[in-house]
Amino acid sequence: MPGVNSEPVAATRLDPPPAVRVAVVAAPERREGFLRRNRTPVTFAVLLVVTDATVGRFATVWDRHSPDDYAARVIACAREPRDLVFVGGSPLAEGIAPDRVAGVVRGGRELKSVYAVGLSGATTSDVYHAVLRACPAPPRVLVYGLTATDLNDARHEPHGPHSLMTWGDLAGWVRLRPESAEWVTRHFVQGRAGRVSNLFHYRHGIRMWAACEAEAVLPGSSPETVREADELRERAELLRTGSGYAPARGIAAGRYDAAKAAGFAPPGFPFLEKYRTGSHLKYLHKLIDWCAAGGTELILLDVPVTADLEARYAAAFAEYRGRLADLERDRGVRVMRVTRETAGLTDAAFGDVIHLNRAGAARLSDRVRTELAR
Amino acid sequence: MVFATKAFWVFLPTVLVLYHVARGRTHKYRILLVASWFFYAWLSPQYLWVILLCTTIDYVAGIKIEDAATDRGRRRWLALSVAANLGLLVAFKYTAFAYDNAVSLARLCGADVRDRVWDVLLPLGISFHTFQGISYTIDVYRGHVRAVRGAIDYALFVAFFPQLAAGPVVRAVEFLPQMATPPAVTARQAADGLHFVLLGLFKKLFVADHLDALVVAPVFADPAAFGPADHRWACLAWAAQIYCDFSGYSDIAVGLAKWFGFELPRNFNLPYLATSVPDFWRRWHLSLSTWLRDYLYFPLGGSRGGALATYRNLMVVFVACGLWHGATWPWLVYGLWNGVLMCLHRAWDHGLAGVPWAAAVRATWAWRLLAWAATLWLTTAGLVLVRMTSWESGAVLARSWCGLDLYAAAGSVPVWVPALVALVALGHVIGGLRGRVELPSAARAVAYVGIVVLLVALGPAAGRPFIYFVF
Repeated sequence: MPGVNSEPVAATRLDPPPAVRVAVVAAPERREGFLRRNRTPVTFAVLLVVTDATVGRFATVWDRHSPDDYAARVIACAREPRDLVFVGGSPLAEGIAPDRVAGVVRGGRELKSVYAVGLSGATTSDVYHAVLRACPAPPRVLVYGLTATDLNDARHEPHGPHSLMTWGDLAGWVRLRPESAEWVTRHFVQGRAGRVSNLFHYRHGIRMWAACEAEAVLPGSSPETVREADELRERAELLRTGSGYAPARGIAAGRYDAAKAAGFAPPGFPFLEKYRTGSHLKYLHKLIDWCAAGGTELILLDVPVTADLEARYAAAFAEYRGRLADLERDRGVRVMRVTRETAGLTDAAFGDVIHLNRAGAARLSDRVRTELAR
Repeated sequence: MVFATKAFWVFLPTVLVLYHVARGRTHKYRILLVASWFFYAWLSPQYLWVILLCTTIDYVAGIKIEDAATDRGRRRWLALSVAANLGLLVAFKYTAFAYDNAVSLARLCGADVRDRVWDVLLPLGISFHTFQGISYTIDVYRGHVRAVRGAIDYALFVAFFPQLAAGPVVRAVEFLPQMATPPAVTARQAADGLHFVLLGLFKKLFVADHLDALVVAPVFADPAAFGPADHRWACLAWAAQIYCDFSGYSDIAVGLAKWFGFELPRNFNLPYLATSVPDFWRRWHLSLSTWLRDYLYFPLGGSRGGALATYRNLMVVFVACGLWHGATWPWLVYGLWNGVLMCLHRAWDHGLAGVPWAAAVRATWAWRLLAWAATLWLTTAGLVLVRMTSWESGAVLARSWCGLDLYAAAGSVPVWVPALVALVALGHVIGGLRGRVELPSAARAVAYVGIVVLLVALGPAAGRPFIYFVF
């Protein structure tokens, strides 16, 4: 600054001391840019995206530790053209062992490639969408194993909208079943939103993987989670390489007769409460149309359940069987009625009140094979 | 719609965007107020009228106190405000407790009285917002703050959603000056907000909820099924859980407030590093302990009236503190327990005052370590009171906590329990270093991503409610 550092000029004694003014002028503060000012949140956001992408790169690892049951079955079934496809909810998933049916000769042709798309908790609406995804090439024979629960309009199961449907399917649902438009839209959007982040989408698989890794380092550290991971890994492998028969361990080994003898009284069965039909049924009509268009023979298999369940919900089963009879009469669909008696299914063949155990599944599968061969 | 739910994480970004997009003080505060009332109504729809009533009474009382020409008039309005707030608090929180005790007493006297078949559902955050209202009118009365003339401003001070459900108990003098102009969010606040929100979620969802599921809930539910070592781990885990649960909520509240440009007071200061019971209460739930100090202890006379009066005042404050938390006998005993400890510590302190060697001994590391361990042991013993499911099970746990069988088999405590307790201890150590060691942004960002990964992948499937929501 001029003058500030210069020598004082000659001064007389009376003169006041020269005034030296020092002015400190701060340089105008340099405003940092947005990125620099917000480097922590920005770095966090970038790292989060990178982490998420990295998680996505290992999708197969997470899938093997916790498969999306519906998606895994659909993908496995679609891998090759099938001669015979079984489809249905959990009674079919637990009750049909496709390997026992493979090779059956129907109409003079052997049905070699068989797969069971058993979707636990599915309704007829879900089954229709599963067939669209699982059968890019229409199979020769499609057996839909259903029971009264499949047609209950009081049931809304989110897994289908989450895993099986496209935007077009959503639009179709809204048109066909407007009374549940809000519900299906919400769950479809939730399912889509859940897939935006790999970390969120695969969180359960990561959890199972982490439990297995922890168990390797610290044996006994997470026994329950490891047990669950073990079952899921086995299931993933069965779904990927097998024919779709991957029963839940508890049901496959369970004995309903033994449970009853031990004093177990089955509680109410929520899937059959407030029973009414008509809305899901519309998708059964669409399935019939789809099969007719593709030249697929559709068989509706009335999957047997325990006598206790039928007795408790007699009205529901009567309404359901009435609907099957209507379809048989009006649409010419074949209904395969395998009763407990004809298949030799006592309470000992059931794992619980509605699902067959491993032995029961073998018996039912053999019976279905016989029926198909007729 | 609490902080750890999906609904909240739809609500929050919506409010943040609307708030920051809005121009002008009035619009911003209106948006924030409507959002806060919506938040309240979501969680406690039947009681929206409670917060509206409290807000109206205290708002009017504040103005009347300031405008009153006479001291009598000012006192009258103050009394109305305090009575209204305490009346609502007592009616909702203590009616059932009083009834049950009256029934027990009547039975002791031989009367045939039936058990209570009704229950009173507590309005959301009533213990917090009534205390806020009381402190406001007292501060106006004392001349510490000016009465708020804008109804929206006052309503927002009471209902500001980040601290609405479980505090901290914010005082008018801390919050209202920030409202003069809508505070702009600085980059520092944005980063700190992220820090506090993630830290709070981690404490709550990862540490507190896991400790509850792994050991606290099963052991406290049936202590007889577990051994002494399990009991001790459960007590320690409970101390860690309640700290992480409540301080986690407070951290989230502080962080969220920063994203709106507001600063809320910190509620915890590493309480388990305390080396005495008074020190613990200077670190635990600070907003409540300072509230009780300023609006109860000091008006009662504090420590100015001699030793006996001081002990009486301490006991009154801590019994009030216990009952504020919950209208149950265990909470009352918890208050008594802490009151007695405070009195004993005061007596001990006074007894050693002037003793030449005492100050030297108390300055040593060994003494501090002993004091720390004793404080942790005593405060945890007190916390067991408020988690036990019955006096019998509490006695079982207390025996183990006081027992000397340190080498008892570890029983069935999963390995993750000591790990999570150690994590809480590590958090205290790191917290103690704050200010001395500043992590670079990249390291902080990595830590935050780690927290997100842990929360998403290893967090509990369904979060448990915050413990302090019932207070």
